[in-house]
Amino acid sequence: MGFARACSVALVGVEGVVVEVQADLEPGVAAFTLVGLPDKSLVESRDRVRATVVNSGGEWPQKKLTVGLSPASVPKGGSGFDLAVAMAVLGASERVDPKVIADLVLIGELGLDGRVRPVRGVLPAVLAAAEAGYRQVVVPEQTAGEARLVPGVSVLGVRSLRQLIAVLNDEPVPQEEPVPEGRPDPMLAGLMMPGAGIGTGLAPETVDGPDLADVAGQWAARTALEVAAAGGHHLMLHGPPGAGKTMLAERLPGVLPPLTRQESLEVTAVHSVAGILPPGEPLVRTPPYCAPHHSATMQSLVGGGNGLPRPGAVSLAHRGVLFLDETPEFSGKALDALRQPLEAGHVVVARTAGVVRLPARFLMVLAANPCPCGRHTLQGTGCECPPSAVRRYQARLSGPLLDRVDLRVEVEPVNRSDLLGAGRRGEPTAVVAGRVLAARQRAAARLRDTPWTVNSEVPGHELRTRWVVAPGALYAAERDMERGLLTARGLDRVLRVAWTIADLAGHDRPQPQDVDLALELRTGISRGAPMPTGGGGL
Amino acid sequence: MPGGGSSVGDDERIARAALTRVFEPGDEHGGRWLAEMGPLELLARLTTPGPDDVPLPGASPRRVASYRIRAAAADPLRDLEAVASFGGRFICPGEGEWPTQLDDLGDARPVGLWIRGRPDLRKWALRSVAVVGARACTPYGAHMAAGLGSGLAERGWVVVSGAAFGVDGSAHRGALAAGGATVAVLACGVNVAYPRGHTELLGRIAEQGLVVGELPPSDHPTPSRFILRNRVIAALTRGTVVVEAEYRSGSLATARSAQRLGRHTMGVPGPATSGLSGGVHELLRGEAVLVTDADEVAELVGEIGELAPERRGPVLPRDVLDPLSARVLDALPATGAVDGVRIARDAGVTPDEALGRLYELQALGFVERHGDGWQLTRTAVGRSNARRGGP
Repeated sequence: MGFARACSVALVGVEGVVVEVQADLEPGVAAFTLVGLPDKSLVESRDRVRATVVNSGGEWPQKKLTVGLSPASVPKGGSGFDLAVAMAVLGASERVDPKVIADLVLIGELGLDGRVRPVRGVLPAVLAAAEAGYRQVVVPEQTAGEARLVPGVSVLGVRSLRQLIAVLNDEPVPQEEPVPEGRPDPMLAGLMMPGAGIGTGLAPETVDGPDLADVAGQWAARTALEVAAAGGHHLMLHGPPGAGKTMLAERLPGVLPPLTRQESLEVTAVHSVAGILPPGEPLVRTPPYCAPHHSATMQSLVGGGNGLPRPGAVSLAHRGVLFLDETPEFSGKALDALRQPLEAGHVVVARTAGVVRLPARFLMVLAANPCPCGRHTLQGTGCECPPSAVRRYQARLSGPLLDRVDLRVEVEPVNRSDLLGAGRRGEPTAVVAGRVLAARQRAAARLRDTPWTVNSEVPGHELRTRWVVAPGALYAAERDMERGLLTARGLDRVLRVAWTIADLAGHDRPQPQDVDLALELRTGISRGAPMPTGGGGL
Repeated sequence: MPGGGSSVGDDERIARAALTRVFEPGDEHGGRWLAEMGPLELLARLTTPGPDDVPLPGASPRRVASYRIRAAAADPLRDLEAVASFGGRFICPGEGEWPTQLDDLGDARPVGLWIRGRPDLRKWALRSVAVVGARACTPYGAHMAAGLGSGLAERGWVVVSGAAFGVDGSAHRGALAAGGATVAVLACGVNVAYPRGHTELLGRIAEQGLVVGELPPSDHPTPSRFILRNRVIAALTRGTVVVEAEYRSGSLATARSAQRLGRHTMGVPGPATSGLSGGVHELLRGEAVLVTDADEVAELVGEIGELAPERRGPVLPRDVLDPLSARVLDALPATGAVDGVRIARDAGVTPDEALGRLYELQALGFVERHGDGWQLTRTAVGRSNARRGGP
């Protein structure tokens, strides 16, 4: 008798699938059936929707009601379908015109009082709707800013079901009381993942990040940081506790170039799904920084959870920095799981409810102490770790993971004059970021006709054959290779870093001193190559 | 039996093989008795059953009893068979392959040596250097050890070390990578892979070089055996290079025993802040010689005339100017042109002399003339002495 349809979006990882919500009313004993692979929270939608409709002044049809979600094979979960279910039911009972809602994409959770509550993952949902050709979306008012980031879609932010019904029927729109300024909005709770809010280190910093000028000394590490940012090279910081490894890593996102529009959308989509997007500031414009604790499990690093996988640390660090402090303390399994995202730029996670591909292109910074007590190699500090323990500790990081790290620097303990400001101060972040941006532009111009944008992405073979270094520049590196001190892959890495250093220095191709510095940064062995950062650029 | 040109009888060889099971490495009592009564007589006294009526001089009954227990358990024929089964051999003093440098150890000379690998130990040891150092070394230590290993191997030197983790392993690997010769001296049986992680490395050394040990096949290492093994490394080689060692380090024991034996001791310096280089620096403050690469090691331990290339910075065109011209050149500012009178004043010479020098410098391409003024050329500015503290 009565039939209506509306659309909503199911999230699979950070990608959306448009779901058609169909409501059908038949004469018979009053009942409400929801079909189409709903999970527990979606089944509960039946009760929420009924209460909301009644409390919004509507009438609940006393007939046999069936709501189907199709495609029926895609697993669906969460409360974001409430709004679409309610509207489909109201359409079927002709409270609103079924034609009007047929092409609307509706996203939102309903409160029993009739209010529309925000849900996570609005941005990827709206992106999916736009890609599927839908032009009109209705979202909770708090997330309208997030939805408006998607171009070519008209967004309606609603505060309650009553408002939406009025808009669709061309009736005067009732005003809902806004939350008074200064009081926390209880509705925003739905946007934040419990335990993922501000202060947990997962949410992006809203204030300006820390500045490089605060770091005392550490000229070699500063150079490495600059090179890492300019070429997208993974970095390993080695040194005793308290030398400033974490300080340096925290300042890396500030040195990275700001995100492009496309990158911003990717990052925002992931953060939206993870529930760590700050409500007032929907678009993430700066590279994110994610520093999981070393007790992190493999699931929390690469993504996982019951049912459909949720983004892990590698995805939260997408287009930003993933910092693993005390790397040897991480479980071997968790570290090995990083290999796929490092190689592919995304991670594929399989769970019972399906396989999900999450973006994970990040700059990795590893930090490690020289031994379990951290005092090994330091003069007169009395490290009592036996050699075998030191060796075991360092061996936890061997193999394929370290192979992907282009830069290895020793972070020396800060000396008194640097710390007390007697030494010269380092450059502020803005100056270094300027040089990094210029170097990235040089690299991008050189790589214009290739699929790559930064030096770290260029395969070794291409690097060796397509672009040549200055004559004789590779002498030292080749000599090391002959002696077995450098592997063939190591030579490729040196070459890659050398190109970045040349980009930073404004050389057309790597000069001998560029390769020497690259060799020094790659192997961690000092070769007397001048490390000019902090004084006036490369 | 291998070891051609042997002047040692089979009985004596078998007796010595048995005695390697009886005496711990470096047992000076054992060495003295061996020198006094020969291996056959010594073994006979230790294996004769019944009350000890022929006591060993200077040994308490308790000590003799412990030797007897070991001697009774020794089965030299089985050991010799075992070593032959993996292509090894046993050599003892007096044989053609015995490295006579070991005689410098006096009573602590090894009873005999078990060997895996084909080359002749005596010939190799004549031109060998030991490279030893910390097990838990830094990347710098590993790099230097590998560089020394390959550099020495390229110059035809045999690299001797202890096959431990860290510096030792890197030195062996460096020599192997250069296709050179290397000898591992173990503190256990030569068929025992210790450390376990170096099983593959030891296999390669046995294939391409030599694995040597005082202890009979399948014997296991103990802490004291490592220290005693070091004296063999020191005695076998012409000199010992220490790469990274703490104050309390077995590598320093090697260096000290090399010093006692009159061999060269050398050290590779590290950062002054590194505790891992502390022992080396202490050594260098004493009698050891500072070395930075294989050339310098070869110069020290090599034959007369085997010199390292002379080390110096590049000669710049400026360096060969005569002092007066150099003074005039220094008086020119880095940018802009100035007239000859001012240059003469700044250089402290007469204007005529300055002018003469300026024309000379112009001909050499250091300066160029702009009307009345003189200016440094671009190349002259670029090649300044900035790295030597110049302006």
